[in-house]
Amino acid sequence: MRLSNATIPPASNRARLLATLLAATSLLLMASDQPQDHIPSYVEWTQQTIALASAGSAFRGLLLARRCEHCHGLEGFSTMAYTPNLAGLGRLALWKQLQDFHAHKRSSPVMVPIADSLAGRDIADLVAYYSSLPLFSDPQDNRSFPQLQPDFAHASLASHLISFGDGERGIPPCQACHGPVAYRPGAPALMYQNSDYVLNELEAFASGNRANDINMPMRTISALLTDDERHALAQYYGAGLGLQSESAK
Amino acid sequence: MNWKKVRTFILTVLVLCLIPATRYYQIDVPIVRFFAGSRRVDPLALHLSGEFVEDNLGTEQDPDGSVTVRMIAQQYLFIPHCILVPAGVPIHLRITSADAVHSLVLASPDYNVKVLPGTITLAQLQFSTPGEYKTKCGEFCGAGHYAMRSQLKVVPRIQFPALPNGGRATCAAE
Repeated sequence: MRLSNATIPPASNRARLLATLLAATSLLLMASDQPQDHIPSYVEWTQQTIALASAGSAFRGLLLARRCEHCHGLEGFSTMAYTPNLAGLGRLALWKQLQDFHAHKRSSPVMVPIADSLAGRDIADLVAYYSSLPLFSDPQDNRSFPQLQPDFAHASLASHLISFGDGERGIPPCQACHGPVAYRPGAPALMYQNSDYVLNELEAFASGNRANDINMPMRTISALLTDDERHALAQYYGAGLGLQSESAK
Repeated sequence: MNWKKVRTFILTVLVLCLIPATRYYQIDVPIVRFFAGSRRVDPLALHLSGEFVEDNLGTEQDPDGSVTVRMIAQQYLFIPHCILVPAGVPIHLRITSADAVHSLVLASPDYNVKVLPGTITLAQLQFSTPGEYKTKCGEFCGAGHYAMRSQLKVVPRIQFPALPNGGRATCAAE
């Protein structure tokens, strides 16, 4: 009896503990009721983050990626235009998107549950696998882009935006962050991306449905682009025109 | 030697040199003073906490009638992309960089505000008449530097929207 008294606190103590807990939870709830600032993403590009994102094992990622093959393709090239190609994407870009899905900062009915099921290490491993996939393997490579050929009026509009942007409206060139000229940490390479996916994301950024870009560069730029320009860019990237110089070899 | 003639000549040359310069300075930005504040901010974590979170950017109405403008300069954009301020009111500009060194150039290279990562640059300006200014980055910051331009719109005081407590005004949505 004495022993149990020593281990279990007496009723009055327990009641006090409960009351404290209740008060704490109600305080927390009250705090969450207040309007909070929108945080686009919890990712912060410090040296530790970059080290963490680069420390995965590609082999373990290969085993995990069996679950991704159905949509993202056998070697990271999707046959569906609205699903992104993952082969050869930057580690940081992949890592950030998976982290954002995991933290519910980017919404997708498909990807959020999948990212939720990934444990801490899995994300880095998947990233290591997909970023190590080759963009070109051999001449018989039958990877194809599921899009139609773009017409040339649109191609010139898009290529001008990609190389030079539009200084008058303050639109920076796409290639300054999305390659091949330079890559911003977390910005994906777009030259091998699918058109419907690019268009969807541009429109989501413009309308604010997707808001996980740190310091809102993409929301700003997409809102500045016209509808035609968004279509032209999506078509240009999706047709794999960026591949021409490589495949002409 | 006729020193009087030499003196007149030198004075004339000096005066002639000043003429384009005076024209150059005739811009309607009476006050621009800036200094890099001593307060440190983490340029990589601006979006997580502190005064440069997304919802806090833009023009804020101060209780004393002046306004405070908070901006982020990053490769290759100024956020917000279009700043809306009232005319005839002191403007406190607070700007920081998320990556490289930038500078916010207002109308001419002489009116520029240096923006450094890690510090908040404070500037005071005031516009006496409404108008639209093209602002741009005056410090080479990378591949997209030349397209790093934005707008500053000065509206009459009456047209400036009445901001609810905690509201921020921009004209980027237009």
